[in-house]
Amino acid sequence: MIPLPGIDASADFWPAHLRRAWRAVHEAATSGTVAPMTDDDPLSPRRPARWPWAWAGVVWAVAWVLMLGLDRHIGLAQAAITLVLASALAAIWLPLVSSLLTTTAAVLAFDWFIVPPKHSFSVELSEDVLLVVEILVLSWVVTALLARGRVLAARARRSARHADQMRRLGDALRDAEDPLQRGEALREALVELTGQPARLLLLRDATAAPADDDAAATLGELDADELVGLWHCVRLCRPFGPGTGHEPELPALYLPLRGAEAKAYGAALLPLVPNAVVTEDVLVQAQALCDQLGQLLHRARTQRDAESANALAQAQAMRNALLAAISHDYRTPLAAILGAASSLRDQGAKLAPEQRERLAQSIMAETRQLSRLTDNTLQLVRLDAPGVKLALDWESPDELAGAAIERARRHDPERRLKVWTEPGLPLVRCDAVLFSQMLENLIDNALKYSDAPAPVELHVRRHGEHVVFAVRDSGPGVEPSWRERIFDVFQRGDWRSGSHNSAAQRGAGVGLAVCRAIARAHGGELQLRPRSQGGSSFECWLREQEAPRVEERGPAPDGGAP
Amino acid sequence: MSLRVLLVEDDRELCRTLKDAMTAEGYDVFTAASLSEGFALLTGLGARAGGPPVDLVLLDLGLPDGDGEQLLAVLRQKHTVPVIVISARESDGQKVRLLDAGADDYLVKPFSIRELLARMRVGLRHRGTSVSPAVTRYSVGALNIDLGTHEVTLAGQPVHLTPTEFNLLARLVRSAGQVVTHRQLLADVWGAEFTEHTHYLRLYMAQLRGKLEDNPADPQLLMNEPGVGYRIVEPQG
Repeated sequence: MIPLPGIDASADFWPAHLRRAWRAVHEAATSGTVAPMTDDDPLSPRRPARWPWAWAGVVWAVAWVLMLGLDRHIGLAQAAITLVLASALAAIWLPLVSSLLTTTAAVLAFDWFIVPPKHSFSVELSEDVLLVVEILVLSWVVTALLARGRVLAARARRSARHADQMRRLGDALRDAEDPLQRGEALREALVELTGQPARLLLLRDATAAPADDDAAATLGELDADELVGLWHCVRLCRPFGPGTGHEPELPALYLPLRGAEAKAYGAALLPLVPNAVVTEDVLVQAQALCDQLGQLLHRARTQRDAESANALAQAQAMRNALLAAISHDYRTPLAAILGAASSLRDQGAKLAPEQRERLAQSIMAETRQLSRLTDNTLQLVRLDAPGVKLALDWESPDELAGAAIERARRHDPERRLKVWTEPGLPLVRCDAVLFSQMLENLIDNALKYSDAPAPVELHVRRHGEHVVFAVRDSGPGVEPSWRERIFDVFQRGDWRSGSHNSAAQRGAGVGLAVCRAIARAHGGELQLRPRSQGGSSFECWLREQEAPRVEERGPAPDGGAP
Repeated sequence: MSLRVLLVEDDRELCRTLKDAMTAEGYDVFTAASLSEGFALLTGLGARAGGPPVDLVLLDLGLPDGDGEQLLAVLRQKHTVPVIVISARESDGQKVRLLDAGADDYLVKPFSIRELLARMRVGLRHRGTSVSPAVTRYSVGALNIDLGTHEVTLAGQPVHLTPTEFNLLARLVRSAGQVVTHRQLLADVWGAEFTEHTHYLRLYMAQLRGKLEDNPADPQLLMNEPGVGYRIVEPQG
């Protein structure tokens, strides 16, 4: 601070009201929270300044009334301070140039009216010359500082607003559920920034080609030229329009939604009012908003790519493991068949008739095993393929159970198989071939892993909104640690509770895995439930659906007389 | 004169095994490894005294030079010779299509010789039934059905059937031992416009089973061939 002659420049000297006023001015200059200031974004609607000249006029009027009215009662120094104060206060509202001019005029007037000799620009005392010059310089400095502070404050406020806008867009993008909603959020942000109706082009697929209407979505009304411009912007991944350094004569801004690696996931169009000047920071902010969505789309795409690559690798690994598991499962019956057949050929004459019969039986049994394994493997591969189509039809649970039982009976010489179905079961919607294959596998499994004469039961009942097909055995049951793994095609091992039977290691994997795959393909589930009195219950839960009615024109179900 | 069988099957091993087995049962077997060979054989064998060139055809589906359906179509234009389709599990759809197109029965590979011979016997018994209904009486276990008088008795007691139930039962009895597809049953009993209404069939089969079977979930008489159709067991005696 420039020391004024005869005046102690310490803070205590300043009257309290002046200190408060200075603090207010200071805060206005640095934080921008006190004094209302106009926005200077060229594209946005201006916040109207409220009577800047009026306020400045009032300040100067009061100052002059004080200086002239109290001329006889106050000294020159007090009058000078009043002038500086008025100049500073007026500078709060007035633009820099006006403020400097007003201040200069005020100092001249001060010299004319107040500094002796009055009504003359000449100055009597040499120290008064210094005073006048100092007042002028001080007023200029204060005015310039205030103007500078005002610019900084406006910039800080704008930055804060832009940061806030970025944050709000980030929130909106995160909350949005689909790309169109995200695009709408960006559009709203751009409208808020520029006050103009922004339009968007969003690629559905990053590899989309122009003119492919399905490949991109548009938000807002676009004419053909604008659409071409947006596609151009996407392809080159570069902004166009005034202020961007490319095609400045365009009537609108074209901004790419940049992801990474010079890849755009869409573009935004910001129309401009004629002769509008686009400032750097609006451009930067608009581009930053666009890039925010671009990066989000890029991340989503990268993630999707990674997931699909992962799934592919996993599927490949699965397939390899499946092949290994299956070829292992094929060897055992093949060995048995080759053994029995070669024995029949080479030793036929030496064998007793019953031995030959047993060998032939063994060949037949192992062939059936191979056949089932083949069916199951084919089905597993088929169900694993994407877009698998089931031959769905309305089927009666009684008939499904009956067909499975009839086929399973062929390998049930001890007749251990029992079937019970709840009366009045509804029709179920399923693929009959697949579903009976599942029931057959489950029955086969139960027969294999429980010993005669313990019965194997097929129970079909209604449970809430489900029809439950349960295949129950009274075998040794399954170790708790195996109850889920048993459905995994690659798991093999001895899962029977308290038993170490090598037969348990044979072929259970594919059979149960395909059963679960079939249940799930029907929107159902296959679970293993241990039975309280020992043994396992494999239960397929199928959701009940409303079967079509038998129409009037068809014969009624409980028909008339014969 | 022994019965003539045409076996159209492209797998040489299977072809020889089946031929040997059938020859041992006294059939006169002609084999063809492709569709064209099958056509040539049919033409070459010619008609014997107005009858068909062969008495029964075993037709494999996966032939190297075309579809078994073509042979069936040509055969069905002139003759009612029984045709049994031999298929692998993965050609389910084609199997049903052939049955609908007039094939008499089907066998899924792998099958046993006993199964094959049984199906052949059923097929041969049904020869010409579409021309003159030979089967009018059906009897298995305690069940007796007289298609002429519309009488159905179970253990001597008359069983009351609705007209639709009776028509359905009669349609199955006329093809006793053979599978009748859903489509055929619906078309013959309800009419051509009902061929997609399989839920009708489920309902009426359940009613028939309720009246004729001891345990409807463990049928001994009215068998279900999942995804294909129904079969009433072969009559006894």
